[in-house]
Amino acid sequence: MNVNSSLRATPLIALFAALLAVLGLIPKIDLPLGVPITLQTLGVMLAGCMLGPKRGLQALLLFLFAVALGLPLLSGGRGGLGVFFAPSSGYLLGWPLGALVTGWLMALLPSRSPRSTSVSAFIASAVGGLWVVHVCGVVGLVVLAKLTWEQALLGTLTFVPGDLIKCGLCAMVVHTVARGMPDWRFGGRTI
Amino acid sequence: MGSLYSEHRTWLHGVPAGLKLLVLALIGTALFFTDRVAVLLPSTLLCGLMLASLGRATLGAAKLWVSLVIACLLVLGFHALMHQPMLGIVSALRLLSTAWMGVALTLTTRYTDLLDVFERWLSPLAHLGIRVDRVALQLALMLRFIDHFFGLWQRLDDAHRVRTGRPGGLRLLAPLTIQMLRSARRVADTLELRLGQ
Amino acid sequence: MSTPPTSNPPTTRLWGGLEGVRVQLEQVTLVRGGTTVFESLNLDLTERRIGLIGDNGAGKSSLFRLICGLDRPKTGQVHVHGPSSVGMMFQNPDEQIIFPTVEDELGLSLQASGLSRQAARTRAREWLLARGLGAWAERAIGSLSQGQRQHVCWLSLLIASHGLLLLDEPFSNLDLPGQAQLDREVSEATQHIILSTHVLQHIRHFERVIWLDAGAVRLDGPGHAVCMAYEADVAARSARPT
Repeated sequence: MNVNSSLRATPLIALFAALLAVLGLIPKIDLPLGVPITLQTLGVMLAGCMLGPKRGLQALLLFLFAVALGLPLLSGGRGGLGVFFAPSSGYLLGWPLGALVTGWLMALLPSRSPRSTSVSAFIASAVGGLWVVHVCGVVGLVVLAKLTWEQALLGTLTFVPGDLIKCGLCAMVVHTVARGMPDWRFGGRTI
Repeated sequence: MGSLYSEHRTWLHGVPAGLKLLVLALIGTALFFTDRVAVLLPSTLLCGLMLASLGRATLGAAKLWVSLVIACLLVLGFHALMHQPMLGIVSALRLLSTAWMGVALTLTTRYTDLLDVFERWLSPLAHLGIRVDRVALQLALMLRFIDHFFGLWQRLDDAHRVRTGRPGGLRLLAPLTIQMLRSARRVADTLELRLGQ
Repeated sequence: MSTPPTSNPPTTRLWGGLEGVRVQLEQVTLVRGGTTVFESLNLDLTERRIGLIGDNGAGKSSLFRLICGLDRPKTGQVHVHGPSSVGMMFQNPDEQIIFPTVEDELGLSLQASGLSRQAARTRAREWLLARGLGAWAERAIGSLSQGQRQHVCWLSLLIASHGLLLLDEPFSNLDLPGQAQLDREVSEATQHIILSTHVLQHIRHFERVIWLDAGAVRLDGPGHAVCMAYEADVAARSARPT
């Protein structure tokens, strides 16, 4: 791959990092332990589905890097290195991995028609954006907040319904994009 | 879209970004290797004092560090209930001190300065073929796209309201994404032109 | 600057030697997304000011993309001879401006020649100061009006010291004062300029105007004559009952 293709991918990476920031500006709900319900995980799922594993991961890394630099891009206007030491930072650090897995699956699953693409998107988001992120979050809660595995699991389960809705939203967006841009290769099949 | 950087100058603003980042990294790592309250308690108090010493500059991040305090109180409460108060205290102290240091860094350092430090520290990696200079480009593009998104969302929302009388809400997410994807293609053209030659 | 190595280079750039700029299209066929845009197109462009007119979809933007190398022809050759590079201004400044401040944006044009980000920013600041635009250096793009943003795009073209500038409908988003200012800047610029527009008054005085119609050259000659012919044609078509 010549340099130019990575140069052409740069705006797409920046675009989805920007989408994450924009989704964070929709008001969030804070639950105990400071774990937020936000729409930003939807951005993680979309990045994986639309860009694929490699570029989706880069988009998430760019976003987290911007947050680390102090830009208030997390929902609620949070930012800076401080957020990476909060009890919920396991979830945050799980986002890049979530985008990677989502993108991976999206590349493997069928995307011949808009319908099959959106079903694949739902599955990919549920495994990557939901399951992987929650696993990382639980690990984070146990390691950083010294909760027990049972406590952490219980806490994380409360978010699953909300996240399943986001998987559905992701599938709907993917469906519309598949219809509106028929030449778009999901899962990063050709970038 | 602004940043958390505070325009109220404090003593910490004058300290070079690289030094602040280094201190945070070293102390933060060191704290994670100790479980002794005798070390954690004074360090947490010190960090709290340092943050408080920034005075008015902390107003911008009030929401941030208050939510951190609440989170740690909850952790304490949980462990107290489980009859393991020491465990809770240790983790709460550790989290508070590192998080507060992080907040102090964010409030007193321009993100462009941090970016410069990052580029300098990682420049040796350029020999391995990693494009470190691309990061600044991607960051800049991200900020531009955030502006662009908002403008576009507003226009799509206006068009929706005019036609249906209701705000567009999440319904606009898909058309917004499509338009932004097309936009990204044109930006890619610009980049190829300006940097690819 | 040496010729960049590419596999299958239908677009060749030859640097050095010639003073002026010359663009040659030889038997160029361009296919985009299944449609044939150009078929065996031949053009020889040497004039300092060339206008490009025609209906939407005639191929004006595609021609620009060929000249600056964004697209490769299916058959035929595109040669650009000249002492320096080609710059292009797209229609929408929001899709063209990369950095959030003016000085960083202009700095990007300088980075292409190898300057570091910080050095480029400093040089851009000095350049702006020399033009009496020092106050613009730290301005955020988000705080600028549409016309001002387009001006920033123009400035980044100038600072890059290109030999040939391609302007794709630059007047479409400008108010009258903005159009007047761009007119002035275009007439003062030392680079060769090829400008496509629907606002014919800006190019009537150009030494050469090309009228593109469905991918072919319908008329090619002095500005006044070609513009008049195009306007007459449009009037005739509009008058016809559909």
